[in-house]
Amino acid sequence: MLDAMFQKPISSTAPKMESMKTDVRREDSVETVVGPSVVVEGDFSSEGNIIVKGTVSGSVHTTKLLRVEEGAKIFANVKAGNAVVAGTIRGNAKIAERLELVSSGRIAGDIDCKVFVIEAGALVNGKITMAGMEADEGRPEKKSNFGRMKVKSSEKEDSVM
Amino acid sequence: MYLYLYDNFLRQKKFDAVIRAIETRLTDFGIAGKILRLQPFTNTEAVIEEERKRGASTVVIVGDDTTFGHTVSRAASCPILFGFLPIGEENSIASVLGIPAGVEACDVLSRRRKVKLDVGWMSNRNRFFISQLHIPTADITVAYDEKFVVSSKHGGMELVVCNLQPFVWREKGRDDYIVHPQDGKLEAFLRPIARKGLFRDTYEEPSIFPFEEMIVSGRAPFVVEADGNTTKEKKIIIQLAKRRIEMIVGKERKF
Repeated sequence: MLDAMFQKPISSTAPKMESMKTDVRREDSVETVVGPSVVVEGDFSSEGNIIVKGTVSGSVHTTKLLRVEEGAKIFANVKAGNAVVAGTIRGNAKIAERLELVSSGRIAGDIDCKVFVIEAGALVNGKITMAGMEADEGRPEKKSNFGRMKVKSSEKEDSVM
Repeated sequence: MYLYLYDNFLRQKKFDAVIRAIETRLTDFGIAGKILRLQPFTNTEAVIEEERKRGASTVVIVGDDTTFGHTVSRAASCPILFGFLPIGEENSIASVLGIPAGVEACDVLSRRRKVKLDVGWMSNRNRFFISQLHIPTADITVAYDEKFVVSSKHGGMELVVCNLQPFVWREKGRDDYIVHPQDGKLEAFLRPIARKGLFRDTYEEPSIFPFEEMIVSGRAPFVVEADGNTTKEKKIIIQLAKRRIEMIVGKERKF
Protein backbone atom coordinates (compact mmCIF):
# COMPACT_ATOMS: atom_id res chain seq x y z
CA MET A 1 0.00 0.00 0.00
CA LEU A 2 2.75 2.39 1.06
CA ASP A 3 4.71 1.31 -1.95
CA ALA A 4 1.85 2.22 -4.26
CA MET A 5 1.30 5.53 -2.47
CA PHE A 6 4.83 6.73 -2.95
CA GLN A 7 5.24 5.41 -6.43
CA LYS A 8 5.59 7.83 -9.30
CA PRO A 9 2.76 8.02 -11.83
CA ILE A 10 2.67 4.90 -14.00
CA SER A 11 3.86 6.70 -17.10
CA SER A 12 7.12 7.56 -15.40
CA THR A 13 7.80 3.97 -14.35
CA ALA A 14 7.68 2.87 -17.98
CA PRO A 15 11.02 2.84 -19.80
CA LYS A 16 11.43 6.28 -21.30
CA MET A 17 10.75 6.75 -24.96
CA GLU A 18 12.86 9.58 -26.21
CA SER A 19 13.73 11.16 -29.48
CA MET A 20 16.82 10.08 -31.34
CA LYS A 21 18.81 13.20 -30.56
CA THR A 22 21.21 11.39 -28.22
CA ASP A 23 24.74 10.63 -29.28
CA VAL A 24 24.78 6.93 -29.91
CA ARG A 25 27.44 4.62 -31.22
CA ARG A 26 25.75 1.24 -31.05
CA GLU A 27 22.64 2.30 -32.94
CA ASP A 28 20.78 -0.51 -34.69
CA SER A 29 23.31 -3.08 -33.53
CA VAL A 30 20.95 -4.73 -31.06
CA GLU A 31 17.77 -6.48 -31.95
CA THR A 32 17.24 -9.20 -29.34
CA VAL A 33 18.59 -9.07 -25.79
CA VAL A 34 18.08 -11.73 -23.13
CA GLY A 35 18.64 -9.90 -19.83
CA PRO A 36 20.63 -11.29 -16.88
CA SER A 37 17.73 -12.53 -14.76
CA VAL A 38 15.54 -13.69 -17.60
CA VAL A 39 14.98 -17.36 -18.39
CA VAL A 40 14.08 -18.33 -21.96
CA GLU A 41 12.72 -21.80 -22.67
CA GLY A 42 11.99 -23.15 -26.13
CA ASP A 43 13.23 -22.65 -29.67
CA PHE A 44 14.68 -19.20 -29.62
CA SER A 45 15.27 -17.77 -33.08
CA SER A 46 15.84 -14.29 -34.44
CA GLU A 47 16.66 -12.73 -37.77
CA GLY A 48 18.92 -10.13 -36.14
CA ASN A 49 21.74 -9.98 -33.63
CA ILE A 50 21.21 -11.73 -30.27
CA ILE A 51 22.84 -10.83 -26.97
CA VAL A 52 22.42 -13.39 -24.21
CA LYS A 53 23.06 -12.25 -20.64
CA GLY A 54 20.70 -14.69 -18.91
CA THR A 55 19.78 -18.34 -19.34
CA VAL A 56 18.43 -20.00 -22.47
CA SER A 57 17.19 -23.61 -22.57
CA GLY A 58 16.13 -25.01 -25.91
CA SER A 59 17.77 -24.04 -29.15
CA VAL A 60 19.20 -20.73 -30.34
CA HIS A 61 19.23 -19.74 -33.99
CA THR A 62 20.23 -16.55 -35.76
CA THR A 63 21.73 -15.75 -39.13
CA LYS A 64 23.67 -12.81 -37.66
CA LEU A 65 25.81 -12.28 -34.56
CA LEU A 66 25.28 -14.18 -31.32
CA ARG A 67 27.00 -12.68 -28.27
CA VAL A 68 27.02 -14.77 -25.09
CA GLU A 69 28.08 -12.48 -22.25
CA GLU A 70 30.02 -13.51 -19.15
CA GLY A 71 27.77 -15.35 -16.72
CA ALA A 72 25.22 -16.23 -19.40
CA LYS A 73 24.30 -19.88 -19.93
CA ILE A 74 22.90 -21.62 -22.98
CA PHE A 75 21.75 -25.21 -22.51
CA ALA A 76 21.04 -25.85 -26.16
CA ASN A 77 22.38 -26.34 -29.63
CA VAL A 78 23.39 -23.05 -31.18
CA LYS A 79 23.33 -21.96 -34.82
CA ALA A 80 24.59 -18.51 -35.77
CA GLY A 81 26.30 -16.51 -38.49
CA ASN A 82 29.05 -15.28 -36.15
CA ALA A 83 29.49 -15.75 -32.41
CA VAL A 84 31.42 -14.23 -29.53
CA VAL A 85 31.27 -16.42 -26.42
CA ALA A 86 32.24 -15.21 -22.96
CA GLY A 87 29.69 -17.35 -21.12
CA THR A 88 28.82 -21.04 -21.16
CA ILE A 89 27.31 -23.12 -23.95
CA ARG A 90 26.30 -26.69 -23.19
CA GLY A 91 25.43 -28.01 -26.61
CA ASN A 92 26.73 -28.09 -30.14
CA ALA A 93 27.68 -24.80 -31.80
CA LYS A 94 27.35 -24.50 -35.57
CA ILE A 95 28.72 -21.14 -36.65
CA ALA A 96 28.68 -20.23 -40.33
CA GLU A 97 31.63 -17.84 -40.20
CA ARG A 98 33.66 -16.82 -37.15
CA LEU A 99 33.53 -18.10 -33.59
CA GLU A 100 35.42 -16.15 -30.95
CA LEU A 101 35.88 -17.73 -27.55
CA VAL A 102 37.21 -15.31 -24.95
CA SER A 103 39.05 -16.32 -21.74
CA SER A 104 35.88 -16.75 -19.66
CA GLY A 105 34.10 -18.74 -22.39
CA ARG A 106 33.19 -22.42 -22.02
CA ILE A 107 31.78 -24.72 -24.68
CA ALA A 108 30.82 -28.29 -23.82
CA GLY A 109 29.84 -29.67 -27.20
CA ASP A 110 30.95 -30.03 -30.78
CA ILE A 111 31.98 -26.94 -32.70
CA ASP A 112 31.58 -26.39 -36.42
CA CYS A 113 32.87 -23.11 -37.86
CA LYS A 114 35.02 -21.53 -40.55
CA VAL A 115 37.25 -19.33 -38.38
CA PHE A 116 37.91 -20.17 -34.73
CA VAL A 117 39.58 -17.67 -32.39
CA ILE A 118 40.29 -18.89 -28.86
CA GLU A 119 41.81 -16.89 -26.02
CA ALA A 120 44.04 -18.38 -23.32
CA GLY A 121 41.92 -19.64 -20.44
CA ALA A 122 38.88 -20.59 -22.50
CA LEU A 123 37.64 -24.17 -22.24
CA VAL A 124 36.38 -26.45 -24.98
CA ASN A 125 35.20 -30.00 -24.48
CA GLY A 126 34.14 -31.48 -27.79
CA LYS A 127 35.02 -32.09 -31.41
CA ILE A 128 36.04 -29.13 -33.55
CA THR A 129 35.27 -29.28 -37.27
CA MET A 130 36.35 -26.51 -39.59
CA ALA A 131 35.49 -26.11 -43.24
CA GLY A 132 38.33 -25.76 -45.71
CA MET A 133 40.11 -29.02 -45.01
CA GLU A 134 38.84 -32.43 -46.09
CA ALA A 135 38.73 -35.05 -43.35
CA ASP A 136 40.96 -37.50 -45.27
CA GLU A 137 43.44 -34.85 -46.46
CA GLY A 138 46.94 -35.33 -45.06
CA ARG A 139 46.43 -38.93 -43.90
CA PRO A 140 48.91 -41.48 -45.23
CA GLU A 141 47.28 -43.68 -47.85
CA LYS A 142 46.64 -47.23 -46.66
CA LYS A 143 47.69 -50.01 -48.98
CA SER A 144 44.85 -52.45 -49.34
CA ASN A 145 45.51 -56.14 -49.40
CA PHE A 146 42.63 -56.70 -51.74
CA GLY A 147 44.81 -56.91 -54.92
CA ARG A 148 47.20 -59.39 -53.40
CA MET A 149 44.39 -61.54 -52.13
CA LYS A 150 42.89 -61.63 -55.58
CA VAL A 151 46.16 -62.74 -57.12
CA LYS A 152 46.45 -65.45 -54.55
CA SER A 153 42.98 -66.73 -55.27
CA SER A 154 43.65 -66.73 -59.04
CA GLU A 155 46.90 -68.61 -58.39
CA LYS A 156 44.88 -71.12 -56.44
CA GLU A 157 42.45 -71.52 -59.32
CA ASP A 158 45.38 -72.00 -61.68
CA SER A 159 46.82 -74.65 -59.48
CA VAL A 160 43.49 -76.49 -59.44
CA MET A 161 43.24 -76.35 -63.20
CA MET B 1 -14.19 16.10 -47.02
CA TYR B 2 -11.92 16.64 -44.01
CA LEU B 3 -12.99 15.97 -40.44
CA TYR B 4 -10.90 17.56 -37.68
CA LEU B 5 -10.97 16.00 -34.21
CA TYR B 6 -9.75 18.54 -31.63
CA ASP B 7 -8.65 17.32 -28.21
CA ASN B 8 -10.38 18.90 -25.24
CA PHE B 9 -7.14 20.38 -23.85
CA LEU B 10 -6.91 22.70 -26.87
CA ARG B 11 -9.62 24.86 -25.25
CA GLN B 12 -6.89 26.35 -23.06
CA LYS B 13 -6.05 29.93 -23.89
CA LYS B 14 -2.37 29.26 -24.53
CA PHE B 15 -3.25 27.24 -27.63
CA ASP B 16 -5.56 29.88 -29.17
CA ALA B 17 -2.85 31.48 -31.30
CA VAL B 18 -1.63 28.16 -32.75
CA ILE B 19 -5.15 26.97 -33.45
CA ARG B 20 -6.01 30.23 -35.22
CA ALA B 21 -2.84 30.05 -37.31
CA ILE B 22 -3.51 26.43 -38.25
CA GLU B 23 -7.11 27.12 -39.22
CA THR B 24 -6.00 30.04 -41.40
CA ARG B 25 -3.37 27.90 -43.13
CA LEU B 26 -5.87 25.09 -43.71
CA THR B 27 -8.32 27.54 -45.25
CA ASP B 28 -5.53 28.88 -47.51
CA PHE B 29 -4.82 25.34 -48.70
CA GLY B 30 -8.54 24.70 -49.20
CA ILE B 31 -8.56 21.71 -46.86
CA ALA B 32 -10.58 23.16 -43.99
CA GLY B 33 -13.45 20.97 -42.84
CA LYS B 34 -15.81 20.03 -40.06
CA ILE B 35 -14.46 20.41 -36.51
CA LEU B 36 -15.48 18.11 -33.66
CA ARG B 37 -14.21 18.47 -30.10
CA LEU B 38 -13.36 15.23 -28.31
CA GLN B 39 -14.69 14.79 -24.78
CA PRO B 40 -13.33 12.23 -22.30
CA PHE B 41 -16.13 9.77 -23.09
CA THR B 42 -16.43 10.35 -26.84
CA ASN B 43 -16.66 7.10 -28.78
CA THR B 44 -14.34 8.05 -31.64
CA GLU B 45 -15.07 4.91 -33.63
CA ALA B 46 -18.81 5.69 -33.74
CA VAL B 47 -18.18 9.37 -34.52
CA ILE B 48 -15.79 8.59 -37.39
CA GLU B 49 -18.06 5.89 -38.79
CA GLU B 50 -21.01 8.29 -38.79
CA GLU B 51 -19.02 11.08 -40.44
CA ARG B 52 -17.66 8.63 -43.02
CA LYS B 53 -21.23 7.81 -44.01
CA ARG B 54 -21.84 11.54 -44.40
CA GLY B 55 -18.93 11.82 -46.80
CA ALA B 56 -15.79 12.37 -44.70
CA SER B 57 -12.73 10.94 -46.46
CA THR B 58 -9.94 12.14 -44.17
CA VAL B 59 -9.87 12.30 -40.38
CA VAL B 60 -7.30 14.69 -38.93
CA ILE B 61 -6.41 14.29 -35.25
CA VAL B 62 -5.42 17.58 -33.60
CA GLY B 63 -3.61 17.20 -30.27
CA ASP B 64 -0.72 15.29 -28.73
CA ASP B 65 0.46 11.66 -28.40
CA THR B 66 -2.38 10.82 -26.03
CA THR B 67 -5.02 12.19 -28.41
CA PHE B 68 -3.48 10.31 -31.31
CA GLY B 69 -3.22 7.00 -29.44
CA HIS B 70 -6.68 7.29 -27.93
CA THR B 71 -8.35 8.09 -31.26
CA VAL B 72 -6.51 5.69 -33.57
CA SER B 73 -6.67 2.74 -31.18
CA ARG B 74 -10.45 2.99 -31.29
CA ALA B 75 -10.85 3.91 -34.93
CA ALA B 76 -8.22 1.68 -36.56
CA SER B 77 -10.97 -0.59 -37.85
CA CYS B 78 -12.54 2.29 -39.87
CA PRO B 79 -11.43 2.26 -43.51
CA ILE B 80 -10.51 5.94 -43.66
CA LEU B 81 -7.39 8.05 -44.17
CA PHE B 82 -5.87 9.57 -41.01
CA GLY B 83 -3.89 12.78 -40.64
CA PHE B 84 -2.26 14.35 -37.59
CA LEU B 85 -1.66 17.95 -36.53
CA PRO B 86 0.56 17.82 -33.43
CA ILE B 87 0.02 20.55 -30.83
CA GLY B 88 1.39 20.52 -27.30
CA GLU B 89 4.52 19.31 -25.57
CA GLU B 90 4.20 15.51 -25.69
CA ASN B 91 4.56 14.82 -29.38
CA SER B 92 7.10 12.06 -29.95
CA ILE B 93 4.89 10.11 -32.37
CA ALA B 94 4.69 13.13 -34.70
CA SER B 95 8.48 13.21 -35.08
CA VAL B 96 8.48 9.49 -35.97
CA LEU B 97 5.81 10.18 -38.58
CA GLY B 98 7.83 13.12 -39.91
CA ILE B 99 5.19 15.70 -39.01
CA PRO B 100 6.51 19.00 -37.59
CA ALA B 101 4.68 20.61 -34.68
CA GLY B 102 2.40 23.61 -35.16
CA VAL B 103 1.48 25.36 -38.39
CA GLU B 104 4.10 23.55 -40.54
CA ALA B 105 2.12 20.34 -40.07
CA CYS B 106 -0.54 21.77 -42.42
CA ASP B 107 1.98 21.63 -45.28
CA VAL B 108 2.52 17.90 -44.66
CA LEU B 109 -1.24 17.38 -44.51
CA SER B 110 -1.82 19.17 -47.81
CA ARG B 111 0.82 17.06 -49.59
CA ARG B 112 -1.09 13.86 -48.72
CA ARG B 113 1.88 11.47 -48.70
CA LYS B 114 0.05 8.28 -47.73
CA VAL B 115 1.60 5.27 -45.98
CA LYS B 116 -0.01 2.15 -44.51
CA LEU B 117 1.10 1.56 -40.92
CA ASP B 118 1.33 -1.57 -38.76
CA VAL B 119 -0.54 -1.46 -35.47
CA GLY B 120 -0.63 -3.68 -32.40
CA TRP B 121 -3.78 -5.68 -31.82
CA MET B 122 -5.04 -7.22 -28.60
CA SER B 123 -6.89 -10.03 -30.30
CA ASN B 124 -8.78 -11.39 -27.30
CA ARG B 125 -10.01 -7.87 -26.44
CA ASN B 126 -10.57 -6.60 -30.01
CA ARG B 127 -8.56 -3.45 -29.34
CA PHE B 128 -5.76 -1.76 -31.24
CA PHE B 129 -2.81 0.18 -29.93
CA ILE B 130 -0.71 2.50 -32.00
CA SER B 131 2.11 3.83 -29.84
CA GLN B 132 2.72 1.49 -26.91
CA LEU B 133 1.30 -1.03 -24.48
CA HIS B 134 2.52 -1.09 -20.90
CA ILE B 135 2.14 -3.69 -18.17
CA PRO B 136 3.47 -2.38 -14.82
CA THR B 137 5.45 -4.84 -12.70
CA ALA B 138 3.49 -8.07 -12.28
CA ASP B 139 4.14 -11.80 -12.03
CA ILE B 140 3.75 -12.58 -15.72
CA THR B 141 4.98 -15.16 -18.22
CA VAL B 142 5.37 -14.26 -21.87
CA ALA B 143 5.20 -16.73 -24.77
CA TYR B 144 6.53 -15.46 -28.11
CA ASP B 145 5.32 -16.63 -31.50
CA GLU B 146 4.38 -20.03 -29.93
CA LYS B 147 8.11 -20.85 -29.90
CA PHE B 148 9.66 -19.79 -26.62
CA VAL B 149 8.58 -18.72 -23.15
CA VAL B 150 10.21 -15.93 -21.15
CA SER B 151 10.00 -15.67 -17.37
CA SER B 152 11.93 -13.91 -14.63
CA LYS B 153 14.07 -15.59 -11.96
CA HIS B 154 12.76 -13.19 -9.30
CA GLY B 155 9.06 -13.23 -10.25
CA GLY B 156 7.93 -9.73 -11.22
CA MET B 157 8.45 -8.16 -14.63
CA GLU B 158 7.48 -4.92 -16.33
CA LEU B 159 6.57 -5.11 -20.02
CA VAL B 160 6.46 -2.42 -22.68
CA VAL B 161 5.49 -3.16 -26.27
CA CYS B 162 6.51 -0.49 -28.79
CA ASN B 163 4.99 -0.01 -32.17
CA LEU B 164 5.95 3.40 -33.55
CA GLN B 165 8.36 4.99 -31.12
CA PRO B 166 12.06 4.13 -30.81
CA PHE B 167 13.23 2.83 -27.44
CA VAL B 168 16.23 4.40 -25.69
CA TRP B 169 17.92 2.33 -23.03
CA ARG B 170 20.46 4.19 -20.93
CA GLU B 171 23.16 2.29 -19.05
CA LYS B 172 25.18 4.08 -16.42
CA GLY B 173 28.71 4.72 -17.64
CA ARG B 174 28.12 2.96 -20.94
CA ASP B 175 26.89 3.91 -24.40
CA ASP B 176 23.16 4.13 -25.05
CA TYR B 177 21.25 1.54 -26.98
CA ILE B 178 18.67 2.84 -29.39
CA VAL B 179 16.42 0.24 -30.87
CA HIS B 180 14.33 1.33 -33.81
CA PRO B 181 11.06 -0.51 -34.21
CA GLN B 182 11.35 -2.62 -37.33
CA ASP B 183 8.72 -2.67 -39.99
CA GLY B 184 6.69 -5.85 -39.77
CA LYS B 185 7.52 -6.52 -36.11
CA LEU B 186 6.56 -5.29 -32.66
CA GLU B 187 9.23 -4.81 -30.01
CA ALA B 188 8.76 -6.04 -26.45
CA PHE B 189 10.92 -4.70 -23.61
CA LEU B 190 10.93 -6.69 -20.39
CA ARG B 191 12.39 -5.33 -17.17
CA PRO B 192 12.53 -7.89 -14.38
CA ILE B 193 12.41 -6.46 -10.89
CA ALA B 194 15.69 -6.89 -8.98
CA ARG B 195 14.71 -5.49 -5.58
CA LYS B 196 11.53 -4.03 -4.14
CA GLY B 197 12.10 -0.77 -2.30
CA LEU B 198 9.85 1.27 -0.05
CA PHE B 199 9.95 4.29 -2.34
CA ARG B 200 11.33 2.90 -5.53
CA ASP B 201 11.84 -0.54 -7.08
CA THR B 202 15.18 -1.47 -8.64
CA TYR B 203 15.05 -3.05 -12.06
CA GLU B 204 17.46 -5.28 -13.94
CA GLU B 205 18.66 -4.50 -17.45
CA PRO B 206 15.82 -4.83 -19.94
CA SER B 207 15.44 -7.70 -22.37
CA ILE B 208 14.32 -6.97 -25.92
CA PHE B 209 12.40 -9.35 -28.15
CA PRO B 210 10.94 -8.56 -31.57
CA PHE B 211 7.79 -10.57 -32.24
CA GLU B 212 4.65 -10.96 -34.30
CA GLU B 213 2.49 -12.68 -31.70
CA MET B 214 2.83 -12.71 -27.95
CA ILE B 215 0.74 -14.26 -25.19
CA VAL B 216 1.06 -12.63 -21.78
CA SER B 217 -0.42 -14.57 -18.88
CA GLY B 218 -0.30 -14.16 -15.14
CA ARG B 219 -1.42 -16.14 -12.10
CA ALA B 220 -3.22 -13.06 -10.80
CA PRO B 221 -4.89 -10.33 -12.91
CA PHE B 222 -2.45 -7.65 -14.06
CA VAL B 223 -2.88 -4.05 -15.24
CA VAL B 224 -2.65 -3.32 -18.97
CA GLU B 225 -2.32 0.22 -20.30
CA ALA B 226 -2.69 0.58 -24.05
CA ASP B 227 -2.73 4.08 -25.55
CA GLY B 228 -4.19 5.60 -22.40
CA ASN B 229 -6.78 2.88 -21.70
CA THR B 230 -6.25 0.89 -18.51
CA THR B 231 -7.77 -2.54 -17.92
CA LYS B 232 -7.09 -5.58 -15.75
CA GLU B 233 -6.46 -8.84 -17.55
CA LYS B 234 -5.38 -12.39 -16.77
CA LYS B 235 -4.30 -13.26 -20.28
CA ILE B 236 -3.78 -11.14 -23.37
CA ILE B 237 -2.79 -12.01 -26.91
CA ILE B 238 -0.89 -9.27 -28.70
CA GLN B 239 -0.51 -9.50 -32.44
CA LEU B 240 0.80 -7.33 -35.22
CA ALA B 241 -1.89 -6.07 -37.58
CA LYS B 242 0.14 -5.38 -40.69
CA ARG B 243 -0.63 -2.29 -42.80
CA ARG B 244 -3.82 -1.72 -40.86
CA ILE B 245 -4.23 2.05 -41.00
CA GLU B 246 -3.59 4.52 -43.78
CA MET B 247 -1.91 7.68 -42.62
CA ILE B 248 -0.60 10.95 -44.07
CA VAL B 249 3.09 11.19 -43.16
CA GLY B 250 5.96 13.59 -43.75
CA LYS B 251 9.04 13.18 -45.87
CA GLU B 252 11.22 13.10 -42.73
CA ARG B 253 9.51 10.02 -41.24
CA LYS B 254 11.75 7.56 -39.43
CA PHE B 255 10.67 4.25 -40.98
